[in-house]
Amino acid sequence: MMTVSRNKLTKKDITNMSLLSAVLQLGFNYERMQAMGFCFTMAPYFKKIYGDNTEEVAAAMTNNIDFINTEMHMATFLNGLILSLEEAGEDRELIRNIKNGLFGPLAGLGDAIFWFTLLPISAAIAVSLNKQGSILGPIVYMVIHFFGAISRVPLGHLGYNLGTNAIDLIRDNATAITKAAGVLGVMVVGALIPSYVNFSFPETFVIFDVVPVQGIFDTILPNMLPLGFVLFLHYLIKNKNVNAVQLIFGIIVVSIILSFFGIM
Amino acid sequence: MEITLVQGLLLALVAFIGSLDQQMEVFLIFRPIIVCFFSGIVLGDVQLGLSSGAVAELAYLGLLTIGGTVPPNPLIAGIMTTVIAYTSGVSAEAALGLSLPFALLGQWIGMILSTLYSGLMKFADDICARGDVAALGRLIALAAFGKALVSAVVIFLSAYLIQEPITVLVSQFPEWLIHGFRVAGNLLPGVGLALLLKVMLKVDNVAYLFIGFIIATYVEMGNVLPIAIIAVCITFLSYINSKDRQAYDVGGVDDDGI
Repeated sequence: MMTVSRNKLTKKDITNMSLLSAVLQLGFNYERMQAMGFCFTMAPYFKKIYGDNTEEVAAAMTNNIDFINTEMHMATFLNGLILSLEEAGEDRELIRNIKNGLFGPLAGLGDAIFWFTLLPISAAIAVSLNKQGSILGPIVYMVIHFFGAISRVPLGHLGYNLGTNAIDLIRDNATAITKAAGVLGVMVVGALIPSYVNFSFPETFVIFDVVPVQGIFDTILPNMLPLGFVLFLHYLIKNKNVNAVQLIFGIIVVSIILSFFGIM
Repeated sequence: MEITLVQGLLLALVAFIGSLDQQMEVFLIFRPIIVCFFSGIVLGDVQLGLSSGAVAELAYLGLLTIGGTVPPNPLIAGIMTTVIAYTSGVSAEAALGLSLPFALLGQWIGMILSTLYSGLMKFADDICARGDVAALGRLIALAAFGKALVSAVVIFLSAYLIQEPITVLVSQFPEWLIHGFRVAGNLLPGVGLALLLKVMLKVDNVAYLFIGFIIATYVEMGNVLPIAIIAVCITFLSYINSKDRQAYDVGGVDDDGI
């Protein structure tokens, strides 16, 4: 068998690849989800590695057009990792197995950091600015997520530089990081409840003719109704398998009924 | 107030660009807080864009496309909340409830397109077998612009063409019905928060939920940044602790040589 000649990728290549990886979810479909974007992110660099050897480019592309569904920043990490393995001439079957073994755990990690932590915190900060009528709200939000978006560049380099070492690193740290992000996210959600869920009875809603219902709750613990409400919704979602659309409809219907009777 | 043809086309442009970002989830300009802001600029009422953005962003906070699930469309919801508040003069909270049918329409269209796009994989396989990088790029671009165009058309039709029936309908609502939608708008952020908790809340971090809640209830502050910073500190400590414990669990071998 002839040995295949391989060109080296530069640092600039990896940076450009990481920026290109933004296309991950274009062409998203239910059959193979992010396959097209994932493959296309690396395709120009397969071409760079193999030059005019179209057969090898085709083989590398075909090896990466399988089903994949992961978190987008983590996909860039995986792209960097695969390029380093491809460049080193690793067995394609091995590359495929590494990819299939990692995209799941990486998705959990990425979701915990970017979607369940960064997103709620940025939204909370921006919404409070919006409510003061300041256009800083949307601007701050865009700036935060601009940095979130370009954070895939260091992640791409990390994947490329770690190569096969990445596998151990992920196994050792994924659980701890996911757990830590959970603490951060949950505490921020706790803080968001009193500010953003507005659940109170009007002063006109009284019992025994004189005692306002809202006053009773406020004396015990202010904002206990919003807290109880969110925990109740959480119970319905988690234990009763109620989905978001049913909840939204339910809330609208109950609100209108309560409004009709003047209770809220 | 009425939406002009030019405004309708500009809103469609917001939807088009927003949809490209929504597919990629890169800059998050498809989130309600941003599209409402730009819709507000298009309609000449920035304050309305800010208030509707605040309301819609929170309601759609936990409604994320995690693991390929498709929630009611936050892009469509954001634009339509602003549009309905503008045309029929109801509050942003009430407009949010009224925008739900459009968000659901966006959700269904998205699911249909992602199903149809499965047919593209056959072409993608052929392209890969040829090693044709440029062709794969063209296929992806075509797929992306197709989805974006559909969003733009949906917004143009919903915001411009059928604005009058919507306005007439809303103007005939009795006061208790409009108030009911406003009450719902105040409660809906709870759904987003509960959905976030579904994924994050564990027995070992439930205490932090109450710590965050109590601080926010009793300490007056402009936004939650101080709490986020406290949470980062606690997170850092708990991360170190859990790493220590992991090291201990596997036999107490410590890199520090202690």
